Amino acid sequence: MREQFYQELTDLHAEVVDIVVAVTATTRSSVTSLITGDVDLAVTVIDGDDVIDERCLAVEERVLETIATQFPVARDLRLLQSLVFIVMHLERMADLAVNIAKATRRTAGRRGPQTLYDLIQAQGNLVYRVLDATREALETRDLELARKLPELDEPIDHLYKQFFRELARLQEEEEIEWASSMVLASRYLERIADNAVDIGERIAYLITGERERATGGV
Amino acid sequence: MTPVQATSFHHNLPHSEPGDVKISVRGLNFWYSDFNALTGISVEIRKKAVTAFIGPSGCGKSTFLRCMNRMNDLIPGTRVEGTMLLDGADIYGQGVDPVDLRRRVGMIFQQPNPFPQSIYDNVAYGPRLQGVKKKSDLDGLVEESLKRANLWKEVKDILGRGGLTLSGGQQQRLCIARVLAVEPEVLLMDEPCSAIDPTSVQKIEDLMAELKDTVTIVIVTHNMQQAARVSDYTAFFLQELAGEPAAMVEFGRTSDIFTSPTDKRTEDYITGRFG
Repeated sequence: MREQFYQELTDLHAEVVDIVVAVTATTRSSVTSLITGDVDLAVTVIDGDDVIDERCLAVEERVLETIATQFPVARDLRLLQSLVFIVMHLERMADLAVNIAKATRRTAGRRGPQTLYDLIQAQGNLVYRVLDATREALETRDLELARKLPELDEPIDHLYKQFFRELARLQEEEEIEWASSMVLASRYLERIADNAVDIGERIAYLITGERERATGGV
Repeated sequence: MTPVQATSFHHNLPHSEPGDVKISVRGLNFWYSDFNALTGISVEIRKKAVTAFIGPSGCGKSTFLRCMNRMNDLIPGTRVEGTMLLDGADIYGQGVDPVDLRRRVGMIFQQPNPFPQSIYDNVAYGPRLQGVKKKSDLDGLVEESLKRANLWKEVKDILGRGGLTLSGGQQQRLCIARVLAVEPEVLLMDEPCSAIDPTSVQKIEDLMAELKDTVTIVIVTHNMQQAARVSDYTAFFLQELAGEPAAMVEFGRTSDIFTSPTDKRTEDYITGRFG
């Protein structure tokens, strides 16, 4: 019985790590679709969201069943509780990636100034870095790395603010409409990273058992 | 006071006030002849609370429980060092009458042990010894004690029947009623639920929650779910090596012990990774 329980903990942990990988991939695809104007790629992001939602829900149900039948305590309980919150964040992050993909669809056939594409790409690269660190911190239970996430998140917030400044320089009516979609995408990227920072707090709690609030971010 | 090295106390325990503590233990060592069974136990058992002792078999938790009403005195060759205070007065002080102490600090054992007498006489036994003679007074005490023990409804029409005719779970509650009839201040329970059916376990756990406002409860249990359900504070005992004395490894709020224990040995034990 107990062996099965430990195996289930290991499996659930691995599954959530795997969902982080999937969310990272879908985020990358959404950003790429926006920058290249690839509507087909955007559609795969939008359609793929259901799969991530189902996987998150399945984790939640398995956690509930494990709590009900195995009476987990201490680090086992903290792991299960943290996994539920982490998948909740992951589901939101995937939804934000879908929003970016929808921006691709909205702006299809229109191109704006390259500086804004470059900004989105730069922001995206930083977000992937945060997501990769989140995945590694969760997978290896790396407390230092989990605590470093707010620091990695900070430049993303700065780029989002810079986006506004660039937007202010635009004059043409049509460009403004295009730019609003882009600025929303930038906002979504920033939100994805914020969720990753929250996941970092959960990882720290599951490791230490102490509540800590990350400082930094917006 | 010097914290005992082996024990880690949670930092967020409520600030100790003399009025909150029922039994205060400092640096207790216990010996069975030349075998040092317990070492360096320091703990404060709080009023209006249930304190659970957990730990593997042979870790000294029952021995420690029995120190609290000097039940170990009955075993030849046993010896206690350190201090153990009940409301500030030394339990092992000169002039303490162990019989009177055991009235104030009652005990429930793993195996229900009703006297081979009627249900009524089982409960009336203590009060009669204390000199209560009037039938109406005894009737009142018996009814109240059986009610407090969650047994009244089941036996009110069969009070003359033998205590041993009851089911095991009912017998255990009868024993609890018998102890309550002499109005103890502390109730020591040594694995009170390990020999009874689940429905009775539920009833005994319920009555612990009801009683703790008036009686300080200390329970030894092997059932960790039970410790988590019923207790406010939990102490984890461990004998690390055979032949070595056991110690209290960790003491804290039950909610802390079962979510974030501070000692790895506690964590390994409660998560079932022990040994």
